[in-house]
Amino acid sequence: MKHPPGLKGFLLALSLLLGLLILSTGVGILGYLALEAYLAPPGWTILVLALLVMVPGAILVGRLFPWLTDWYYFLPALSFLLVFTLYPIALTVYLAFTDYSGARSGFPDRSTETQVVAQEGPRLLLEEPVEEALRCRPCAGETVEVYAEGHRLRARILEAEGNALVLDRIPPFQAAFVAKVNAFRFVGLRNFSFILSQASKALFPVFAWNVVFALSTVLLNALFGLILGLVLNNKALKLRNFYRTVLIVSWALPGVITVQVWVALLNYNFGAINRLLGVLGIYPIPWLNDPDWAKVAILLVNLWLGFPYMMTATLGALSTIPDELYEAAKVDGANPWQALWGITLPLLEKPMLPILLSSFAFNFNNFYIIYLLTGGGPAQEGRLATAQATDILISWAYKTAFSAEGQSAYGLGAAISLLIFVLTVAISLVNFRVTGALREVR
Amino acid sequence: MRRLLAFLLVGLALYGVYWFALNRLFDAGSYRKQVAFGSVFVPYGWVYALGLLLGLVLLLLLYSLIHTALTNRIQGRKRSPWPLFWQGVTHLFLWVLILLVYYPVVQVVAASFDPTNNLFSFRRPDTGFLLLDAKVIPYVPEPSLENYAKLVEGVVLYPYQVGLLLLGGLALLGVALIGLLRRLLTPEDWMDFWQGRLLLLLALAVFALALTLSPRQFTGQGTEAKFLLWVRNTFLISGLTGLLAVLLTATAGYAFARFRHLPGRYPMLLFLIFVQMFPGFLALVAIYYLLSRLDLLNTFTGLVLAYSGGIISFGTWVYKGYLESISPSLEEAAMVDGATKWQVFTKILLPLSAPMFVFIFLLQFVGTYSEFVLANLVLTGVESWNVGVGLRSFTTGQFQTKWGIFAAASVLGSLPILLLFYGFQQYFVSGYTAGAVKE
Repeated sequence: MKHPPGLKGFLLALSLLLGLLILSTGVGILGYLALEAYLAPPGWTILVLALLVMVPGAILVGRLFPWLTDWYYFLPALSFLLVFTLYPIALTVYLAFTDYSGARSGFPDRSTETQVVAQEGPRLLLEEPVEEALRCRPCAGETVEVYAEGHRLRARILEAEGNALVLDRIPPFQAAFVAKVNAFRFVGLRNFSFILSQASKALFPVFAWNVVFALSTVLLNALFGLILGLVLNNKALKLRNFYRTVLIVSWALPGVITVQVWVALLNYNFGAINRLLGVLGIYPIPWLNDPDWAKVAILLVNLWLGFPYMMTATLGALSTIPDELYEAAKVDGANPWQALWGITLPLLEKPMLPILLSSFAFNFNNFYIIYLLTGGGPAQEGRLATAQATDILISWAYKTAFSAEGQSAYGLGAAISLLIFVLTVAISLVNFRVTGALREVR
Repeated sequence: MRRLLAFLLVGLALYGVYWFALNRLFDAGSYRKQVAFGSVFVPYGWVYALGLLLGLVLLLLLYSLIHTALTNRIQGRKRSPWPLFWQGVTHLFLWVLILLVYYPVVQVVAASFDPTNNLFSFRRPDTGFLLLDAKVIPYVPEPSLENYAKLVEGVVLYPYQVGLLLLGGLALLGVALIGLLRRLLTPEDWMDFWQGRLLLLLALAVFALALTLSPRQFTGQGTEAKFLLWVRNTFLISGLTGLLAVLLTATAGYAFARFRHLPGRYPMLLFLIFVQMFPGFLALVAIYYLLSRLDLLNTFTGLVLAYSGGIISFGTWVYKGYLESISPSLEEAAMVDGATKWQVFTKILLPLSAPMFVFIFLLQFVGTYSEFVLANLVLTGVESWNVGVGLRSFTTGQFQTKWGIFAAASVLGSLPILLLFYGFQQYFVSGYTAGAVKE
């Protein structure tokens, strides 16, 4: 059978593939929920079940529509992209509008764990009054988890009176304990209104520094890389390959380690940098303890980390400029300075622009240098505890959601992430427009 | 318009520098005029340093003038001394730069051999030589391997693991030897063949070692004795992520390159590029939620799955480009003889694609080796930390920091990536820069 042509064929194939994926995920989730009461299986059972359904399903569909087998080559990449890239993004959008947090995590609250004295169908008798034990008022409508060794079940309370409560389903096992589930709720725009109401303490300064950081780090690295590239591109220079290889070292070392090493080197009292400065007659500089110097420290460390890449990129771009141009310029009596401004720099613009833009996009979300070098600090007055002097948006989001200062406000963190998504996509769109990547696909 | 933007940027940058200079650099009130206890302070030391540089430049000038004058006299030609002089100044500049770039590296390597933590203490050595006293040139009075010994303390290896280690070491030696021969002699076919085989052997030995080591074999006291376990964790995570990246991108790249008849190939490619706009780690809250729901927090599986999305777009794109550069005539001949698409893919194209797979694997391996956000989020137990997360425990949290051990761990942890990078330098350089252009 031939492949149905055109848009119709494409949509048909896509819907068959997506249908297969959704069907198997659905079976996985349903199977997990069904098994939960009997086995208390780990969460990844969903993935295993889905795979168990998907493989035979794919073979069956392939038999029915032989032309679809060509599309199976896309299936591994497509399913991973959907589950581990696109689904988290959609989930971020959803979580940004909830009050998901450490206290409302969607997991049972073990401090409300109460023993079940007697069970009769959906009716449970607790050892204490329901409202006190589960700390809910009114209790009807709350979600609870009922569990025993190797069994667990989520159910909603239909009514509660004294020590007794009635669930909306019958546990298929002898219940031992019951605990309230700290479900998170949809809160509308509350996270965003919080961000805006605290904008002068967090959003504005953090965003401003984020832009300044990304921009100046790219410009600084590019300038340095350009100079070195021009110097090393001189074919008369002896040992130029040696220099190139040796200078690339900070790119070859894993950044996650070198940044932490820099923390030690920039120490105020006995860091190697301040020792060197002391010999040069400069008083010790509070690299990581002063809000302004910390910013300079970040830029300098990022220069150390990033200039080899820019140097290599410049050398690559320079090698595409034909020598004849320079010879012609020489014949016309241009001096090297004129050749630089008239030939080299204009011709470098086209290949370097996309590199600069993608470097900007990378540094805009360069979490690890900020978090490992300064941890976002030092503390600055009049700021939120999660948004200090050198925090950028992504480290602010991270600290809001996962650090002690942020008190595990996951929903708020997701809202900040959503803002970053919007900004990152905007940068990427500019990048595409400039480089014409979309046209190149054809 | 463009020029205006450039001027605006430069103006802003200059203003920033000006503001900083005014308020921080030259504002005496803003910093403490106090030298740290035990450090060396040379008033106007920078004048001496500048003087030294100037002296060197003058020496260069003198040398180039005399040298050209002499050669001109001997050979009877008239040549300008300036090219020689500028060449010399360039070398001087590059060497000063190399000193600056390697300064941190040298300090850390030296600190790792210093069991007394001398480089990170207030103690001031008394040698009479200024730079040594200031510890600008590392002063390590009694170098020893004590710091390294602490990292491997209490590690119990089974005999077959020792065998694997030896095998890996021999393979590494062989690879290095052939690499050296390749430099010295003219490259021959057998060198390529054996180097490839030995590399494969090395990778397999390391992978087998990483798989068979278990946390129970690390019996030493204190967190630093777990360092090798962290290295093993990192190798396992990065290796599996790299393999997964190859598996996921291979079939998709093949389909994009060869199934030009499929309707919707163009929208699919657009979709890939579109997905690349969203760096996956930005959805960290959602990934955390997803992994906690799947009970995969603090597991390697969870981290590998979370990483997997990152390279799919780029890898597929690169592999598609590679396949398009191979002529399809061989495949067409095979198709005429009745081979299916799957057979063509596995029997003809896969063997040809080995270099590309190595490239994608290495890119993902090195990328995830340095990844920190998700690793810090997902790996919560001491025994499942990777190198980056583990190193952090040496410098934060505790009151007394173990600088010497930290330095030793940094050196050991960096070595694999350093070797990989310099061993496959061409791959990385061309890959990153070409990738940036094509993205």
